Amino acid sequence: MSMEYNGTIVNLKEKEYTEEKKRAKRKTTTKIPVKCRQRNRFIPGFLGGVALLSVLSLLYLDIDWLKMLSRVPDIGEVFWELAHLDFSNMDLILSSMVETISIAELSLLYSLILGILFGMLAARNIFRIPVLSVLVQSFFTFLRAVPTPVWVLLMLVCLGMGPEAGVAGLCVHTTAFFTKSFAQSFDSIPYETIEALEVTGTGRLSIFFNAVLPAALSQIVAWAGMRLETNFSECAILGMVGAGGVGYVISNSLQGYDYGTAGVAILLVFLVAYCIERMFVHIKKRFY
Amino acid sequence: MTKRIPLIARDLRKLYTGFLIAAVVLFLVCSFLTEFNVMTLIANGDAFWEFITEDFLPPALPKSSRIPGILSSVLVTLALAMSATTIAAVLAFFVSLFGSEKVAPFPRAARFVRGFATFLRNIPALVWAFILFSSLGIGTGVGFVALCITSFAFMVRAFVETMEDVSQDCVESLQAVGATFPQRVSQAILPSCLNGFLSWFLYCVEVNIRASTIVGMVGGGGVGLTLFSYIKSFRYDIALSIILLVAAMVIVVDQITARLRKEIMK
Repeated sequence: MSMEYNGTIVNLKEKEYTEEKKRAKRKTTTKIPVKCRQRNRFIPGFLGGVALLSVLSLLYLDIDWLKMLSRVPDIGEVFWELAHLDFSNMDLILSSMVETISIAELSLLYSLILGILFGMLAARNIFRIPVLSVLVQSFFTFLRAVPTPVWVLLMLVCLGMGPEAGVAGLCVHTTAFFTKSFAQSFDSIPYETIEALEVTGTGRLSIFFNAVLPAALSQIVAWAGMRLETNFSECAILGMVGAGGVGYVISNSLQGYDYGTAGVAILLVFLVAYCIERMFVHIKKRFY
Repeated sequence: MTKRIPLIARDLRKLYTGFLIAAVVLFLVCSFLTEFNVMTLIANGDAFWEFITEDFLPPALPKSSRIPGILSSVLVTLALAMSATTIAAVLAFFVSLFGSEKVAPFPRAARFVRGFATFLRNIPALVWAFILFSSLGIGTGVGFVALCITSFAFMVRAFVETMEDVSQDCVESLQAVGATFPQRVSQAILPSCLNGFLSWFLYCVEVNIRASTIVGMVGGGGVGLTLFSYIKSFRYDIALSIILLVAAMVIVVDQITARLRKEIMK
Protein backbone atom coordinates (compact mmCIF):
# COMPACT_ATOMS: atom_id res chain seq x y z
CA MET A 1 0.00 0.00 0.00
CA SER A 2 2.62 2.45 1.04
CA MET A 3 4.83 1.46 -1.86
CA GLU A 4 2.06 2.28 -4.27
CA TYR A 5 1.56 5.57 -2.57
CA ASN A 6 5.21 6.43 -2.83
CA GLY A 7 5.18 5.42 -6.43
CA THR A 8 2.39 7.81 -7.29
CA ILE A 9 4.24 10.62 -5.62
CA VAL A 10 7.39 9.89 -7.55
CA ASN A 11 5.34 9.76 -10.74
CA LEU A 12 3.77 13.07 -9.94
CA LYS A 13 7.12 14.62 -9.21
CA GLU A 14 8.55 13.39 -12.47
CA LYS A 15 5.58 14.79 -14.30
CA GLU A 16 6.01 18.15 -12.64
CA TYR A 17 9.69 18.14 -13.42
CA THR A 18 9.17 17.49 -17.12
CA GLU A 19 6.46 20.12 -17.27
CA GLU A 20 8.76 22.58 -15.63
CA LYS A 21 11.40 21.79 -18.20
CA LYS A 22 8.95 22.37 -21.02
CA ARG A 23 7.88 25.62 -19.53
CA ALA A 24 11.47 26.72 -19.10
CA LYS A 25 12.11 25.99 -22.75
CA ARG A 26 9.07 27.92 -23.82
CA LYS A 27 9.85 30.94 -21.69
CA THR A 28 13.45 31.68 -20.97
CA THR A 29 12.68 34.23 -18.25
CA THR A 30 10.83 33.07 -15.18
CA LYS A 31 9.69 35.32 -12.41
CA ILE A 32 11.00 34.98 -8.91
CA PRO A 33 7.97 34.71 -6.65
CA VAL A 34 7.68 38.01 -4.87
CA LYS A 35 4.82 37.25 -2.56
CA CYS A 36 5.72 36.42 0.97
CA ARG A 37 4.26 33.03 1.90
CA GLN A 38 4.26 33.52 5.63
CA ARG A 39 1.61 36.20 5.66
CA ASN A 40 -0.80 36.38 8.50
CA ARG A 41 -4.04 34.90 7.15
CA PHE A 42 -6.02 36.77 9.74
CA ILE A 43 -5.24 40.26 8.50
CA PRO A 44 -7.34 40.37 5.28
CA GLY A 45 -10.35 39.14 7.20
CA PHE A 46 -9.74 41.71 9.90
CA LEU A 47 -9.47 44.52 7.36
CA GLY A 48 -12.68 43.41 5.68
CA GLY A 49 -14.47 43.24 9.01
CA VAL A 50 -13.31 46.73 9.99
CA ALA A 51 -14.41 48.16 6.64
CA LEU A 52 -17.81 46.51 6.91
CA LEU A 53 -18.30 47.67 10.49
CA SER A 54 -17.34 51.23 9.62
CA VAL A 55 -19.72 51.38 6.68
CA LEU A 56 -22.49 50.01 8.87
CA SER A 57 -21.76 52.54 11.59
CA LEU A 58 -21.68 55.41 9.13
CA LEU A 59 -25.07 54.30 7.84
CA TYR A 60 -26.33 53.99 11.41
CA LEU A 61 -25.10 57.43 12.38
CA ASP A 62 -27.00 58.91 9.43
CA ILE A 63 -25.05 62.16 9.35
CA ASP A 64 -26.39 64.91 7.12
CA TRP A 65 -23.25 65.32 5.06
CA LEU A 66 -24.68 67.82 2.61
CA LYS A 67 -25.64 70.18 5.38
CA MET A 68 -22.19 69.79 6.94
CA LEU A 69 -20.47 70.40 3.62
CA SER A 70 -22.51 73.52 2.99
CA ARG A 71 -21.23 74.90 6.27
CA VAL A 72 -17.58 74.12 5.66
CA PRO A 73 -16.78 77.72 4.62
CA ASP A 74 -17.86 78.75 8.11
CA ILE A 75 -14.95 76.77 9.54
CA GLY A 76 -12.55 78.97 7.63
CA GLU A 77 -14.31 82.01 8.97
CA VAL A 78 -14.06 80.75 12.56
CA PHE A 79 -10.37 80.04 12.16
CA TRP A 80 -9.87 83.46 10.63
CA GLU A 81 -11.53 85.01 13.67
CA LEU A 82 -9.56 82.79 16.04
CA ALA A 83 -6.38 84.00 14.40
CA HIS A 84 -7.17 87.58 15.41
CA LEU A 85 -5.55 87.10 18.77
CA ASP A 86 -6.93 89.32 21.46
CA PHE A 87 -4.55 89.77 24.36
CA SER A 88 -6.80 92.03 26.44
CA ASN A 89 -7.90 89.19 28.74
CA MET A 90 -4.40 87.86 29.12
CA ASP A 91 -4.35 87.96 32.93
CA LEU A 92 -7.53 85.85 33.14
CA ILE A 93 -6.16 83.35 30.62
CA LEU A 94 -2.80 83.12 32.35
CA SER A 95 -4.26 82.63 35.81
CA SER A 96 -6.60 79.91 34.56
CA MET A 97 -3.72 78.30 32.73
CA VAL A 98 -1.65 78.22 35.91
CA GLU A 99 -4.62 76.70 37.71
CA THR A 100 -4.95 74.02 35.03
CA ILE A 101 -1.26 73.13 35.16
CA SER A 102 -1.31 72.98 38.95
CA ILE A 103 -4.36 70.72 38.98
CA ALA A 104 -2.65 68.39 36.50
CA GLU A 105 0.53 68.33 38.60
CA LEU A 106 -1.19 67.85 41.94
CA SER A 107 -3.40 65.04 40.71
CA LEU A 108 -0.35 63.38 39.19
CA LEU A 109 1.66 63.56 42.42
CA TYR A 110 -1.15 62.42 44.71
CA SER A 111 -1.96 59.54 42.40
CA LEU A 112 1.71 58.56 42.21
CA ILE A 113 1.61 57.91 45.95
CA LEU A 114 -1.79 56.24 45.81
CA GLY A 115 -0.77 54.27 42.73
CA ILE A 116 2.31 52.86 44.46
CA LEU A 117 0.20 51.86 47.46
CA PHE A 118 -2.56 50.22 45.46
CA GLY A 119 -0.09 48.81 42.96
CA MET A 120 1.56 47.06 45.89
CA LEU A 121 -1.79 45.56 46.82
CA ALA A 122 -2.59 44.62 43.24
CA ALA A 123 0.77 43.01 42.43
CA ARG A 124 0.76 39.26 42.79
CA ASN A 125 4.25 38.77 44.15
CA ILE A 126 4.24 41.02 47.21
CA PHE A 127 1.55 39.95 49.61
CA ARG A 128 0.70 36.72 47.79
CA ILE A 129 -3.01 36.99 48.47
CA PRO A 130 -4.51 36.27 45.04
CA VAL A 131 -8.02 37.26 46.13
CA LEU A 132 -6.82 40.70 47.20
CA SER A 133 -4.97 41.43 43.98
CA VAL A 134 -7.86 40.25 41.82
CA LEU A 135 -10.29 42.38 43.81
CA VAL A 136 -8.11 45.49 43.66
CA GLN A 137 -7.40 45.03 39.97
CA SER A 138 -11.00 44.55 38.95
CA PHE A 139 -12.11 47.55 41.00
CA PHE A 140 -9.55 49.76 39.32
CA THR A 141 -10.38 48.35 35.90
CA PHE A 142 -13.90 49.63 36.47
CA LEU A 143 -12.62 53.05 37.56
CA ARG A 144 -10.37 53.22 34.53
CA ALA A 145 -13.13 52.33 32.11
CA VAL A 146 -15.19 55.40 32.98
CA PRO A 147 -13.95 58.60 31.30
CA THR A 148 -12.40 61.26 33.55
CA PRO A 149 -14.94 64.07 32.97
CA VAL A 150 -17.64 61.84 34.45
CA TRP A 151 -15.69 61.54 37.69
CA VAL A 152 -15.01 65.25 37.74
CA LEU A 153 -18.70 66.01 37.26
CA LEU A 154 -19.59 63.76 40.19
CA MET A 155 -16.85 65.31 42.32
CA LEU A 156 -18.18 68.74 41.43
CA VAL A 157 -21.51 67.69 42.87
CA CYS A 158 -20.17 66.54 46.22
CA LEU A 159 -17.18 68.86 46.69
CA GLY A 160 -18.48 72.02 45.08
CA MET A 161 -16.74 74.21 42.49
CA GLY A 162 -13.03 74.73 42.69
CA PRO A 163 -9.73 72.98 42.20
CA GLU A 164 -10.57 70.28 44.77
CA ALA A 165 -13.12 68.69 42.46
CA GLY A 166 -10.68 68.80 39.55
CA VAL A 167 -7.84 67.24 41.53
CA ALA A 168 -10.04 64.55 43.10
CA GLY A 169 -11.73 63.67 39.82
CA LEU A 170 -8.48 63.44 37.89
CA CYS A 171 -6.96 61.45 40.74
CA VAL A 172 -9.58 58.71 40.33
CA HIS A 173 -8.60 57.97 36.77
CA THR A 174 -4.87 58.55 37.17
CA THR A 175 -4.67 56.34 40.27
CA ALA A 176 -6.47 53.59 38.43
CA PHE A 177 -4.06 53.90 35.53
CA PHE A 178 -1.01 53.90 37.80
CA THR A 179 -2.27 50.96 39.82
CA LYS A 180 -2.50 48.82 36.74
CA SER A 181 0.82 49.85 35.23
CA PHE A 182 2.76 49.79 38.52
CA ALA A 183 1.37 46.38 39.41
CA GLN A 184 2.62 45.18 36.05
CA SER A 185 6.07 46.61 36.73
CA PHE A 186 6.17 45.06 40.21
CA ASP A 187 5.08 41.70 38.84
CA SER A 188 7.89 41.71 36.31
CA ILE A 189 10.55 41.78 39.07
CA PRO A 190 12.40 38.45 38.98
CA TYR A 191 11.26 36.03 41.63
CA GLU A 192 14.83 35.26 42.68
CA THR A 193 15.31 38.75 44.07
CA ILE A 194 12.35 38.38 46.36
CA GLU A 195 13.23 34.85 47.35
CA ALA A 196 16.80 35.84 48.25
CA LEU A 197 15.52 38.47 50.64
CA GLU A 198 12.84 36.19 52.01
CA VAL A 199 15.46 33.65 52.99
CA THR A 200 17.14 36.21 55.17
CA GLY A 201 13.86 36.71 57.00
CA THR A 202 12.97 40.13 55.68
CA GLY A 203 9.37 41.24 56.11
CA ARG A 204 7.04 41.73 53.18
CA LEU A 205 6.91 45.52 53.42
CA SER A 206 10.63 45.83 53.73
CA ILE A 207 11.11 43.59 50.68
CA PHE A 208 8.78 45.89 48.79
CA PHE A 209 10.54 49.10 49.76
CA ASN A 210 14.08 47.81 49.45
CA ALA A 211 13.95 45.52 46.45
CA VAL A 212 10.81 45.85 44.39
CA LEU A 213 10.31 49.59 44.44
CA PRO A 214 13.89 50.56 43.53
CA ALA A 215 13.91 48.05 40.69
CA ALA A 216 10.68 49.41 39.27
CA LEU A 217 11.68 53.06 39.73
CA SER A 218 12.74 53.71 36.16
CA GLN A 219 9.45 52.39 34.86
CA ILE A 220 7.55 54.46 37.38
CA VAL A 221 9.30 57.61 36.21
CA ALA A 222 8.51 56.73 32.60
CA TRP A 223 4.83 56.09 33.35
CA ALA A 224 4.58 59.35 35.29
CA GLY A 225 6.06 61.29 32.40
CA MET A 226 3.65 59.71 29.97
CA ARG A 227 0.73 60.40 32.24
CA LEU A 228 1.61 64.07 32.70
CA GLU A 229 0.88 64.68 29.03
CA THR A 230 -2.50 62.97 29.24
CA ASN A 231 -3.37 64.68 32.50
CA PHE A 232 -2.68 68.08 31.08
CA SER A 233 -4.91 67.60 28.07
CA GLU A 234 -7.62 66.02 30.23
CA CYS A 235 -7.35 68.92 32.62
CA ALA A 236 -7.66 71.41 29.79
CA ILE A 237 -10.96 69.91 28.75
CA LEU A 238 -12.37 69.62 32.26
CA GLY A 239 -13.36 73.27 32.21
CA MET A 240 -15.67 72.53 29.32
CA VAL A 241 -17.87 70.22 31.34
CA GLY A 242 -18.16 72.77 34.14
CA ALA A 243 -14.99 72.68 36.26
CA GLY A 244 -12.62 75.64 36.30
CA GLY A 245 -9.38 76.18 34.45
CA VAL A 246 -8.49 77.14 30.94
CA GLY A 247 -11.16 74.94 29.37
CA TYR A 248 -13.81 77.10 30.95
CA VAL A 249 -12.26 80.19 29.39
CA ILE A 250 -12.16 78.53 25.97
CA SER A 251 -15.72 77.25 26.00
CA ASN A 252 -17.08 80.43 27.52
CA SER A 253 -15.43 82.75 25.04
CA LEU A 254 -16.31 80.51 22.08
CA GLN A 255 -19.95 80.49 23.11
CA GLY A 256 -19.86 84.25 23.64
CA TYR A 257 -18.36 84.79 20.14
CA ASP A 258 -15.24 86.25 21.76
CA TYR A 259 -12.97 84.45 19.30
CA GLY A 260 -9.85 86.51 19.96
CA THR A 261 -9.61 85.43 23.60
CA ALA A 262 -10.42 81.83 22.72
CA GLY A 263 -7.69 81.88 20.09
CA VAL A 264 -5.08 83.00 22.62
CA ALA A 265 -6.21 80.37 25.13
CA ILE A 266 -6.15 77.55 22.54
CA LEU A 267 -2.73 78.63 21.35
CA LEU A 268 -1.48 78.59 24.94
CA VAL A 269 -2.89 75.09 25.52
CA PHE A 270 -1.11 73.94 22.40
CA LEU A 271 2.19 75.52 23.45
CA VAL A 272 2.16 74.01 26.94
CA ALA A 273 1.21 70.55 25.64
CA TYR A 274 3.95 70.80 23.03
CA CYS A 275 6.54 71.84 25.63
CA ILE A 276 5.64 68.91 27.89
CA GLU A 277 5.92 66.50 24.97
CA ARG A 278 9.30 67.89 23.87
CA MET A 279 10.61 67.80 27.43
CA PHE A 280 9.87 64.12 27.82
CA VAL A 281 11.21 63.22 24.39
CA HIS A 282 14.41 64.97 25.45
CA ILE A 283 14.60 63.20 28.83
CA LYS A 284 13.94 59.84 27.19
CA LYS A 285 16.69 60.38 24.66
CA ARG A 286 19.19 61.21 27.38
CA PHE A 287 18.46 58.39 29.76
CA TYR A 288 17.28 55.39 27.78
CA MET B 1 37.23 53.26 56.42
CA THR B 2 34.64 51.44 54.38
CA LYS B 3 33.69 52.90 51.05
CA ARG B 4 30.23 52.27 49.74
CA ILE B 5 29.78 50.79 46.33
CA PRO B 6 27.16 52.78 44.43
CA LEU B 7 24.28 50.52 43.51
CA ILE B 8 22.76 52.66 40.75
CA ALA B 9 24.49 54.12 37.72
CA ARG B 10 25.39 57.73 38.27
CA ASP B 11 23.27 59.33 35.56
CA LEU B 12 20.25 57.29 36.59
CA ARG B 13 20.78 58.46 40.13
CA LYS B 14 20.89 62.01 38.86
CA LEU B 15 17.61 61.45 37.05
CA TYR B 16 15.89 60.12 40.16
CA THR B 17 17.20 62.92 42.36
CA GLY B 18 16.11 65.48 39.80
CA PHE B 19 12.74 63.83 39.55
CA LEU B 20 12.26 63.82 43.31
CA ILE B 21 13.30 67.45 43.73
CA ALA B 22 11.08 68.52 40.84
CA ALA B 23 8.17 66.60 42.35
CA VAL B 24 8.56 68.20 45.78
CA VAL B 25 9.00 71.72 44.40
CA LEU B 26 6.08 71.37 42.01
CA PHE B 27 3.95 69.95 44.79
CA LEU B 28 4.64 72.92 47.05
CA VAL B 29 4.17 75.51 44.31
CA CYS B 30 0.96 73.95 43.01
CA SER B 31 -0.52 73.50 46.46
CA PHE B 32 0.20 77.14 47.15
CA LEU B 33 -1.31 78.31 43.86
CA THR B 34 -4.52 76.33 44.03
CA GLU B 35 -4.84 76.41 47.83
CA PHE B 36 -5.59 72.74 47.61
CA ASN B 37 -5.24 70.80 50.82
CA VAL B 38 -5.91 67.14 51.37
CA MET B 39 -7.04 67.94 54.89
CA THR B 40 -10.05 69.90 53.64
CA LEU B 41 -10.94 66.91 51.51
CA ILE B 42 -10.76 64.60 54.49
CA ALA B 43 -12.68 67.08 56.62
CA ASN B 44 -15.36 67.10 53.92
CA GLY B 45 -15.42 63.32 54.02
CA ASP B 46 -18.83 63.13 55.68
CA ALA B 47 -20.56 65.00 52.88
CA PHE B 48 -18.72 62.82 50.44
CA TRP B 49 -19.87 59.56 51.99
CA GLU B 50 -23.37 60.88 52.38
CA PHE B 51 -23.44 61.67 48.68
CA ILE B 52 -22.19 58.23 47.77
CA THR B 53 -24.48 56.25 50.06
CA GLU B 54 -27.65 58.32 49.67
CA ASP B 55 -27.68 59.74 46.15
CA PHE B 56 -25.38 57.47 44.28
CA LEU B 57 -26.06 53.98 45.58
CA PRO B 58 -27.88 51.80 44.78
CA PRO B 59 -27.97 52.14 40.99
CA ALA B 60 -31.50 52.60 39.72
CA LEU B 61 -32.92 51.69 36.36
CA PRO B 62 -34.45 54.49 34.31
CA LYS B 63 -38.08 54.26 33.20
CA SER B 64 -38.57 51.22 31.01
CA SER B 65 -39.68 53.41 28.12
CA ARG B 66 -36.28 55.11 28.15
CA ILE B 67 -34.19 51.95 28.02
CA PRO B 68 -34.27 51.38 24.22
CA GLY B 69 -33.21 55.00 23.72
CA ILE B 70 -30.26 54.56 26.06
CA LEU B 71 -29.18 51.36 24.36
CA SER B 72 -29.36 52.99 20.96
CA SER B 73 -27.28 55.90 22.30
CA VAL B 74 -24.62 53.37 23.32
CA LEU B 75 -24.70 52.09 19.75
CA VAL B 76 -24.28 55.64 18.47
CA THR B 77 -21.19 56.10 20.64
CA LEU B 78 -19.70 52.82 19.41
CA ALA B 79 -20.50 53.62 15.79
CA LEU B 80 -19.02 57.10 16.15
CA ALA B 81 -15.75 55.75 17.52
CA MET B 82 -15.50 52.96 14.97
CA SER B 83 -16.20 54.95 11.83
CA ALA B 84 -14.18 57.99 12.90
CA THR B 85 -11.15 55.84 13.68
CA THR B 86 -11.34 53.94 10.39
CA ILE B 87 -11.62 57.04 8.24
CA ALA B 88 -8.87 58.74 10.24
CA ALA B 89 -6.68 55.65 9.82
CA VAL B 90 -7.10 55.59 6.04
CA LEU B 91 -6.29 59.29 5.79
CA ALA B 92 -3.41 58.96 8.24
CA PHE B 93 -1.88 56.12 6.23
CA PHE B 94 -1.66 58.23 3.08
CA VAL B 95 -0.44 61.30 4.91
CA SER B 96 2.14 59.44 6.98
CA LEU B 97 3.79 58.22 3.76
CA PHE B 98 4.76 61.83 3.22
CA GLY B 99 5.80 62.35 6.82
CA SER B 100 8.87 60.15 6.92
CA GLU B 101 12.04 61.53 5.38
CA LYS B 102 13.27 58.15 4.21
CA VAL B 103 10.08 57.06 2.47
CA ALA B 104 8.48 60.21 1.16
CA PRO B 105 8.93 61.29 -2.47
CA PHE B 106 9.61 64.82 -1.27
CA PRO B 107 11.75 64.55 1.87
CA ARG B 108 11.75 68.31 2.34
CA ALA B 109 8.03 68.34 3.01
CA ALA B 110 8.17 65.63 5.67
CA ARG B 111 9.00 68.07 8.42
CA PHE B 112 5.96 70.21 7.64
CA VAL B 113 3.63 67.22 7.53
CA ARG B 114 4.81 66.16 10.98
CA GLY B 115 4.58 69.70 12.31
CA PHE B 116 1.00 69.95 11.11
CA ALA B 117 0.15 66.64 12.80
CA THR B 118 1.79 67.81 16.03
CA PHE B 119 -0.34 70.93 15.97
CA LEU B 120 -3.56 68.98 15.45
CA ARG B 121 -2.63 66.41 18.08
CA ASN B 122 -1.72 68.73 20.91
CA ILE B 123 -5.11 70.40 20.96
CA PRO B 124 -7.54 68.10 22.81
CA ALA B 125 -10.50 66.56 20.97
CA LEU B 126 -12.98 68.49 23.04
CA VAL B 127 -11.45 71.82 22.03
CA TRP B 128 -11.81 70.79 18.40
CA ALA B 129 -15.38 69.84 19.10
CA PHE B 130 -16.07 73.28 20.53
CA ILE B 131 -14.40 75.08 17.62
CA LEU B 132 -16.45 72.99 15.18
CA PHE B 133 -19.67 73.41 17.14
CA SER B 134 -19.40 77.15 16.68
CA SER B 135 -19.10 76.76 12.92
CA LEU B 136 -21.01 73.59 12.03
CA GLY B 137 -23.67 73.54 14.74
CA ILE B 138 -24.31 70.84 17.31
CA GLY B 139 -24.73 67.24 16.21
CA THR B 140 -23.26 63.80 15.73
CA GLY B 141 -21.47 64.85 12.55
CA VAL B 142 -19.39 67.39 14.43
CA GLY B 143 -18.41 64.84 17.05
CA PHE B 144 -17.37 62.60 14.20
CA VAL B 145 -15.14 65.25 12.64
CA ALA B 146 -13.59 66.22 15.99
CA LEU B 147 -12.71 62.60 16.78
CA CYS B 148 -11.35 62.20 13.26
CA ILE B 149 -9.01 65.16 13.63
CA THR B 150 -7.29 64.04 16.83
CA SER B 151 -7.04 60.37 15.98
CA PHE B 152 -5.80 61.27 12.51
CA ALA B 153 -3.01 63.36 13.99
CA PHE B 154 -2.13 60.71 16.57
CA MET B 155 -1.98 57.97 13.96
CA VAL B 156 0.17 60.04 11.60
CA ARG B 157 2.77 60.25 14.34
CA ALA B 158 2.46 56.59 15.29
CA PHE B 159 2.59 55.40 11.66
CA VAL B 160 5.63 57.55 10.87
CA GLU B 161 7.42 56.13 13.90
CA THR B 162 6.50 52.56 12.90
CA MET B 163 7.83 53.12 9.39
CA GLU B 164 11.07 54.63 10.62
CA ASP B 165 11.55 51.72 12.98
CA VAL B 166 11.02 48.95 10.49
CA SER B 167 11.65 49.22 6.83
CA GLN B 168 14.78 51.18 5.94
CA ASP B 169 16.78 48.49 4.08
CA CYS B 170 13.82 47.22 2.16
CA VAL B 171 12.85 50.67 0.94
CA GLU B 172 16.42 51.55 0.06
CA SER B 173 17.04 48.39 -1.93
CA LEU B 174 13.81 48.82 -3.85
CA GLN B 175 14.77 52.40 -4.57
CA ALA B 176 18.14 51.19 -5.84
CA VAL B 177 16.54 48.92 -8.45
CA GLY B 178 14.34 51.77 -9.57
CA ALA B 179 10.99 51.00 -8.03
CA THR B 180 8.47 53.82 -8.19
CA PHE B 181 6.93 55.36 -5.08
CA PRO B 182 3.66 53.35 -5.20
CA GLN B 183 5.65 50.16 -5.73
CA ARG B 184 7.86 50.93 -2.79
CA VAL B 185 4.82 51.52 -0.63
CA SER B 186 2.98 48.38 -1.63
CA GLN B 187 5.96 46.01 -1.68
CA ALA B 188 8.18 47.26 1.14
CA ILE B 189 6.23 49.35 3.60
CA LEU B 190 2.88 47.62 3.64
CA PRO B 191 4.11 44.07 4.25
CA SER B 192 6.50 45.02 7.00
CA CYS B 193 4.49 47.69 8.79
CA LEU B 194 0.91 46.50 8.47
CA ASN B 195 0.98 44.70 11.83
CA GLY B 196 2.23 47.80 13.58
CA PHE B 197 -0.32 50.00 11.84
CA LEU B 198 -3.19 47.75 12.80
CA SER B 199 -2.06 47.52 16.39
CA TRP B 200 -1.99 51.32 16.61
CA PHE B 201 -5.39 51.40 14.94
CA LEU B 202 -6.80 49.14 17.65
CA TYR B 203 -5.28 51.35 20.33
CA CYS B 204 -6.96 54.33 18.72
CA VAL B 205 -10.30 52.54 18.75
CA GLU B 206 -9.92 52.04 22.51
CA VAL B 207 -9.06 55.69 23.06
CA ASN B 208 -11.86 56.88 20.81
CA ILE B 209 -14.53 54.89 22.62
CA ARG B 210 -13.75 56.98 25.71
CA ALA B 211 -13.31 60.18 23.73
CA SER B 212 -16.61 59.79 21.91
CA THR B 213 -18.36 59.46 25.25
CA ILE B 214 -16.76 62.73 26.34
CA VAL B 215 -17.47 64.54 23.07
CA GLY B 216 -21.03 63.33 23.44
CA MET B 217 -21.29 65.10 26.77
CA VAL B 218 -20.92 68.55 25.21
CA GLY B 219 -23.33 67.89 22.36
CA GLY B 220 -21.92 65.21 20.09
CA GLY B 221 -24.76 62.83 20.88
CA GLY B 222 -24.51 59.27 22.09
CA VAL B 223 -24.39 57.87 25.59
CA GLY B 224 -22.34 60.80 26.89
CA LEU B 225 -25.22 63.17 26.26
CA THR B 226 -27.66 60.87 28.05
CA LEU B 227 -25.35 60.59 31.04
CA PHE B 228 -24.76 64.32 31.14
CA SER B 229 -28.47 65.09 31.12
CA TYR B 230 -29.12 62.68 34.01
CA ILE B 231 -26.30 64.22 36.06
CA LYS B 232 -27.59 67.73 35.33
CA SER B 233 -31.08 66.74 36.45
CA PHE B 234 -29.75 65.33 39.75
CA ARG B 235 -30.75 61.71 39.02
CA TYR B 236 -27.47 60.30 40.27
CA ASP B 237 -28.74 56.78 40.85
CA ILE B 238 -29.77 56.46 37.18
CA ALA B 239 -26.51 58.13 36.20
CA LEU B 240 -24.68 55.41 38.11
CA SER B 241 -26.34 52.67 36.12
CA ILE B 242 -25.39 54.45 32.90
CA ILE B 243 -21.83 54.80 34.20
CA LEU B 244 -21.82 51.06 34.79
CA LEU B 245 -23.09 50.58 31.24
CA VAL B 246 -20.30 52.78 29.85
CA ALA B 247 -17.72 50.91 31.91
CA ALA B 248 -19.03 47.59 30.63
CA MET B 249 -18.88 48.88 27.07
CA VAL B 250 -15.30 50.08 27.44
CA ILE B 251 -14.15 46.88 29.16
CA VAL B 252 -15.75 44.66 26.51
CA VAL B 253 -14.16 46.68 23.70
CA ASP B 254 -10.78 46.54 25.46
CA GLN B 255 -11.03 42.77 25.75
CA ILE B 256 -11.96 42.40 22.08
CA THR B 257 -9.13 44.63 20.89
CA ALA B 258 -6.64 42.83 23.11
CA ARG B 259 -7.64 39.50 21.58
CA LEU B 260 -7.52 40.92 18.04
CA ARG B 261 -4.11 42.42 18.70
CA LYS B 262 -2.73 39.08 19.79
CA GLU B 263 -4.13 37.52 16.64
CA ILE B 264 -2.60 40.23 14.41
CA MET B 265 0.83 40.16 16.00
CA LYS B 266 1.20 36.41 15.51
